[in-house]
Amino acid sequence: MIELFHVTKEYPGDGPALQDVTLTIEKGEFVFLTGPSGAGKSTLLKLIFCDEPATSGQLLLFGKNVAKIRPSAVPYVRRNIGVVFQDFKLLPQRTVAENVALPLEVRGIADREIRKRVKALLRSVGLEHRAEKFPPSLSGGEQQRVAVVRALAADPALLLADEPTGNLDSERTLEVMDLLYGANARGTTVVVATHDRSLLERYKKRVVALERGRLVSDGDSVRRTASAP
Amino acid sequence: MIFRPLHFTRRALEAMARGPYVAFVGAATIFVAVLATGLFAATLGGAERLLASWAGEVRISVYLAPGADLERARAAATRVAEGRSVEAVPSEVALSRLAESLGDGARVLDGVGPGALPDAVEIAAPGISLEGARALAARLREVPGAEDVDYGTAWLEPLERFVRRARTAAAFLFAALALATAVLVSNTLRLAVFARREEIEIMKLVGATDAFVAAPFLIEGVIQGAVGAGAAVLALLGLHAILLPRLGAAFALAGRLTLADTVPPALAAALLAGGAAVGLLGSALSVARALRRT
Repeated sequence: MIELFHVTKEYPGDGPALQDVTLTIEKGEFVFLTGPSGAGKSTLLKLIFCDEPATSGQLLLFGKNVAKIRPSAVPYVRRNIGVVFQDFKLLPQRTVAENVALPLEVRGIADREIRKRVKALLRSVGLEHRAEKFPPSLSGGEQQRVAVVRALAADPALLLADEPTGNLDSERTLEVMDLLYGANARGTTVVVATHDRSLLERYKKRVVALERGRLVSDGDSVRRTASAP
Repeated sequence: MIFRPLHFTRRALEAMARGPYVAFVGAATIFVAVLATGLFAATLGGAERLLASWAGEVRISVYLAPGADLERARAAATRVAEGRSVEAVPSEVALSRLAESLGDGARVLDGVGPGALPDAVEIAAPGISLEGARALAARLREVPGAEDVDYGTAWLEPLERFVRRARTAAAFLFAALALATAVLVSNTLRLAVFARREEIEIMKLVGATDAFVAAPFLIEGVIQGAVGAGAAVLALLGLHAILLPRLGAAFALAGRLTLADTVPPALAAALLAGGAAVGLLGSALSVARALRRT
């Protein structure tokens, strides 16, 4: 599903954010991207999300070379990808239901169908009663659940989450992680960037570790936490 | 992109309701530009109508040389000015008409003999253009015995020159105003786009195409343009209703002007369409810039 071959990303006037990263993520996998701040986790997600081009190397997404995707085709690639951010990125002036409806709207789905699906999605995360509220009136945990539901609304093949629990307490963190875990159980490939070691220990999944833009380890979380100092 | 006009219109109206100040400034900018353009066009239309009605009173006189055959000249003039009313005016009739027109001042004609004025043939040419009058006068010079031809509209020539030049200037003015307004509206809408840059970013994150993101902004521009232009057309109608009676009191000819002369339906429709088009162009410029940056 995702293949990186010697991918490097450099920003002008800055050191390389990613250096010579080679990595394969198979369909249906659940992968943690970990490492300290500045390790290159977010940069890697941006490359996968076609938000930025790699400086060198090759990135294949769904079997397609990202560098060869025309800019006008990028939105259609993104429709197979759901993204969750630490700061939720919800539209404050739109209701919870409207935020969740957004990915369905851009796909041109009929309003009636959208209403039906949004209702079901919000019910699945216990937020049906908050449908007509505006995001700023929700707690952090609720906002992140809305963000996850929005990312999953259109049944994407791939879900990218950048520090999705960074702003949440431990209870809310588990709620959000359970949503991601559930999506993966239903077949969605999930990549979660986090520096929260407790998550790696709790969810025994593949862990890809980055440091200063380099891939320093790739294995299951049991081995990684066992070898951790 | 699947075209959903109602959906995009609803989004545009919601956005305008959330940012009424920006929407108001956009519409007001277009209002001023359309009003300026409309005023110019209405003045030009009125001037053209007046020119036409003045020119419509044209009488062309062919003055004959002494001893020329008046009846022969009338017959020739009738052939030249086919379909127009042609009248033979003998010298004595011309003199009596002059005396009549002078009223009490006719005394100055005491002692003037019947042969003082030449025989003439007069051709009524209502509705003739200045150009047409000029051409007809040239042909009437060939009438046997014709010594001079006067079409009495020399004073209209500067007005016609003004209208002709104003028409050319109007084309440039409209183009310049449209461009300047589009730039102004574009800058105003940039504020709206800037205020909603996060929305644009998130829409693109969830897979929205540029067309999907741009559509509500473009509709917003069209609505602002139509509202601004609509208000300007109403203002023009109001100005016509207020100013024309006053102008009519000062200049009798201005009293003949109707709404169809100053703000005809075609002009109102063109101003509305132009305002909407300028709004569309302005929003397209600003949203294109924003999309390039996200």
